[in-house]
Amino acid sequence: MHGRPRKASKPEDEAASAAKAVKLRSLQSQFMTYHHEKIYTKEAIELSTKLLEINPEAYTAWNYRKLAVEDSLSRIGPDPNLVKPILDEELRVVENALKQNFKSYGAWHHRKWVLSKGHSSTGNELKLLDKFQKLDSRNFHAWNYRRFVVELTNRSEQDELQYTDDMINNNFSNYSAWHNRSVLLSSLLANRADGFMPEKRIPDEFEIVHQAIFTDPDDQSGWFYHLWLLDQTVNVESPLLTSSWPSHGSSVILSGAGCLNGPPSNVTTFCSETGSFPLILYFDQAVGGVSPLTVTIDSELKGNENLVWEPISNKSSQVSCVWVARLKYFSSQPCGSKDHKVKVRLGNSPGIVSSRGYNFSAPYEFVFTVHVQDTAEDSHSQESIVSWTDGFELWDAQSKDLNSLFTLDQLNNGIDLKWRQAAIDSEIECFRLLADSKIGKLTLARLLMASEAMTLDAAVKGVYYEEILQLYNDLMALDSSHHQYYKNEHSVAFLHKVTSSSESLSRHLFRYRDMNNLVCLRLNKLSLSRIASVEKLLFVQMLDLSHNELHSTEGLEAMQLLSCLNLSHNRIRSFSALDSLRHVKQLKVLDVSHNHIGKHSVDTTRYLCSSPLSNSDWSQDGVRGQNPGLVTKYWDAYFVLRDLNLKQLDIAGNEIADDEFSSFVLQVVPKLVWLNGQKPGN
Amino acid sequence: MEELPILTVSQREQFLVENDVFGIFGYFEASDVSTQRYMLEIQRDKQLDYLMKGFRQLGREFSSLDANRPWLCYWILHSIALLGESVDDELENNAIEFLGRCQGSDGGYGGGPGQLPHLATTYAAVNALVTIGGDKALSSINREKMSCFLRRMKDRSGGFRMHDMGEMDVRACYTAISVASILNIMDDELTRGLGEYILSCQTYEGGIGGEPGSEAHGGNTYCGLATMILINEVDSLNLDSLMNWAVHRQGVEMGFQGRTNKLVDGCYTFWQAAPCVLLQRFYSAHDLVHHGSSHISQGTDKDHEDHHDPEDSDDDDDSDEEDSDEGSVNGHGVHHTSTYINRRMQPVFDSLGLQRYVLLCSKMPDGGFRDKPRKPRDFYHTCYCLSGLSVAQHAWLKDEDTPPLTRDVLGSYSNLLEPVDLLHNVVIDRYNEAIEYFFKAA
Repeated sequence: MHGRPRKASKPEDEAASAAKAVKLRSLQSQFMTYHHEKIYTKEAIELSTKLLEINPEAYTAWNYRKLAVEDSLSRIGPDPNLVKPILDEELRVVENALKQNFKSYGAWHHRKWVLSKGHSSTGNELKLLDKFQKLDSRNFHAWNYRRFVVELTNRSEQDELQYTDDMINNNFSNYSAWHNRSVLLSSLLANRADGFMPEKRIPDEFEIVHQAIFTDPDDQSGWFYHLWLLDQTVNVESPLLTSSWPSHGSSVILSGAGCLNGPPSNVTTFCSETGSFPLILYFDQAVGGVSPLTVTIDSELKGNENLVWEPISNKSSQVSCVWVARLKYFSSQPCGSKDHKVKVRLGNSPGIVSSRGYNFSAPYEFVFTVHVQDTAEDSHSQESIVSWTDGFELWDAQSKDLNSLFTLDQLNNGIDLKWRQAAIDSEIECFRLLADSKIGKLTLARLLMASEAMTLDAAVKGVYYEEILQLYNDLMALDSSHHQYYKNEHSVAFLHKVTSSSESLSRHLFRYRDMNNLVCLRLNKLSLSRIASVEKLLFVQMLDLSHNELHSTEGLEAMQLLSCLNLSHNRIRSFSALDSLRHVKQLKVLDVSHNHIGKHSVDTTRYLCSSPLSNSDWSQDGVRGQNPGLVTKYWDAYFVLRDLNLKQLDIAGNEIADDEFSSFVLQVVPKLVWLNGQKPGN
Repeated sequence: MEELPILTVSQREQFLVENDVFGIFGYFEASDVSTQRYMLEIQRDKQLDYLMKGFRQLGREFSSLDANRPWLCYWILHSIALLGESVDDELENNAIEFLGRCQGSDGGYGGGPGQLPHLATTYAAVNALVTIGGDKALSSINREKMSCFLRRMKDRSGGFRMHDMGEMDVRACYTAISVASILNIMDDELTRGLGEYILSCQTYEGGIGGEPGSEAHGGNTYCGLATMILINEVDSLNLDSLMNWAVHRQGVEMGFQGRTNKLVDGCYTFWQAAPCVLLQRFYSAHDLVHHGSSHISQGTDKDHEDHHDPEDSDDDDDSDEEDSDEGSVNGHGVHHTSTYINRRMQPVFDSLGLQRYVLLCSKMPDGGFRDKPRKPRDFYHTCYCLSGLSVAQHAWLKDEDTPPLTRDVLGSYSNLLEPVDLLHNVVIDRYNEAIEYFFKAA
């Protein structure tokens, strides 16, 4: 920047340009008159030609020409011999304008307009494009126009793919060409065009992109394309059922409110005041259309003919990975202690569709047994405090009942995994060579994760996790500016590892003695910053996530059986971060002590979070009526707590937890029995 | 690999740019402190001279088919406003009068008097008038006719056309919605199907292209994201990948590139940094900063050679404390209160690096800003370099009501520019005035 001379304009240049400006001005005012008076004579049209060649940005002149062409065409009739010269002239004007400025929106658009009139020759257009794309291979106007021409003239996508080959061979840093390649291949692969079966084509594409990546690992183009390819390899179009609760072959004891006095049992015991239990379906991608029409249930349990299926999602949308229906088990007449088989079938009639429009197509059914038991009301144990320090019994790792709780393997039989695994394996081999660079390490970690997700064979499952965790540790040290991202990925990999076998999971599983032998999972003190693998943990009733680095509870909404949750000593910063818990209707005990709630203000005034209090459907709400000031102050807490049915809450050790807030909590949750370890009012 | 790598054309160009930029950085590093201070100085007087001169010439060198006069008005007036100045009454009146003549009898503004109304120039004219402010400027906009014009530009597919028979793209959608939002004439008819259209333009890279099928592009990413926020459908975008893409367009030069593997350009200082800050404020409002900042290393290793701050997190209490300590010492009226600490966050891009690129490589010594070294200055780049500089200076704050700390502003604190409303890119005070005015007008 220092002293680089600017080109000073010479006086004679200025004089010449001034003269030119005068001339231009008179042309323009003449044109404006023609335009406003709708004069489309030959002379008038020629004037607009002249102007556009000087200034292709003059969009008013482009529009004038469109009107003029329409006018001429309406007078000469449909004779192609007369139409052709008129449209040819338009193409010529555009071409000259583009020579002046090939980034002119108006000129490119005018050409599209002419072509849409049915006047085109693919050959000519592609020749012209070639010229411009040679001049600037990244010109997005030209690429857009190219896609337009191809679509309009039904030019084959294979030919276009060949063109991207040529462009990439010429300059592998041309990301526009890579991008167009991904657009073309997406379409060719989706339509199963001849020679475009994914199992053959995707491995070939990996080969092609390697050349770019290995020639210059610093070039971004190839990496983006590689990421796209990895997505194509891993993602399966049709949605699949990943897991369910109850799972296939399992049995569940159901009872009413209160505790069972029976002996400890190795099956899950589920108590509910409402006499219904959740049936959870977990899909590998967000789907819509789960209903009694698409999911049929055969059982002797009465009153479940018209089940309501609810998508569990924080967005108020009708698609979700998780769907829940509540099955009644206490019908009008008491049925006594009895076993009932429940058979769930889905996929037999169409209707379950992914958000990208693919059908759930592989029919699937599973069966489980429920044992309905009468209960002895025991109000005392309802009131007792749940402790997170004792009362836990380690799971018997040898016992077989663990397997009946959850299916370890995803229910993805029937997908063609073979070529996908082979492609990932060969990529892994390849990228071990590039594992010195950050992007190389990250890609390798992703490939290893993808490989694990596809491995079904128990003998080799889990072999990569140590390496993945080490890669993320390396990355955290190497690239501190993205530390948090690597940390989150590390947490995800760790949780995948824990849930990869019943042996590793059983190390964290316990029974909580005091409450019907609740199934408890303890994942405390693991520096987790993100929750994952929830689909394998649907059976968990008590979850200890204390002493981690979690910022939110996102993901836990799928755990519909959860009745006790410990989040103490984490990094929760507001009640909004607990929003997903509103879906967990069973939750009775929540510990969020020693977090950062109240320390950071939540900005509700600007941008997106238009105050939730403004569009209120709860004006008649009791608490708000009594105490509008406190509701406004603690709105984020209010929205979460009023939807929960808590008996025990711990909020000590948060900035927010003062006397005023405690009294507010008791207004919002009047049934609360324990607050911060004490009975309110004592 | 067997064969020697041959430089592609793009690589050669990139190499030349890096050579220029690192040449300047090298000179800067080797200079003494006072030279460095001088080089980082924004040179308000020079900037104002350049802008005022340009503004006066606007009237004189006008030719009736020039399609960007309202844009020049906006670029210059907004740049002046960013510097905390304004033009005198006479010039303001001229501008109001001129823009009035660009307003079509059926609503909207054209590129000049008598020209077809066009959404982009409509946006520029409205933003220019909002920047001028006051009853005279604001009342000159015909809201009823504008509302009709916007409806005429609405396409059945959900998007907007730039003008009658014109092209449809994300820019058109943004300019229409930005205007509708400021003038308080937004309704269901304008937003119908719009979210789906924008969504169809987000690519697997994460950014947003100009039309369906196009590759992701900085300007369109800003336009698309701001539109989705304004119509309250931002949740349906893939925000993680958008953030990831935008953040990694910051390259070794510390300026932003507009598209994957393109050269750095000063104007993207605004187009790319603004989406980053918008998303960050969005996440902080939802308290999901960490979930959202999963901006993966998609660029090259060189992309993020270690910057100044190892902490990605904004809940690092120690650094927060440090910030506020400094704040109370530097004497800019910043008080050490807990509310103040709460309003800070760590930008997801290298804000000081970005400011360095703009001030050393884009700024011209005698006023104005440019794309990159060896390019001429112009008002477009001046406007978006200054806007972006303001965004970078305020990137640590969750709202724009709090002043940045000295350490947020590269160079002397007198470089501090006025904060902008990120969704419309007008100076925040003028934006507030307009919002209040049009709220009453409804």
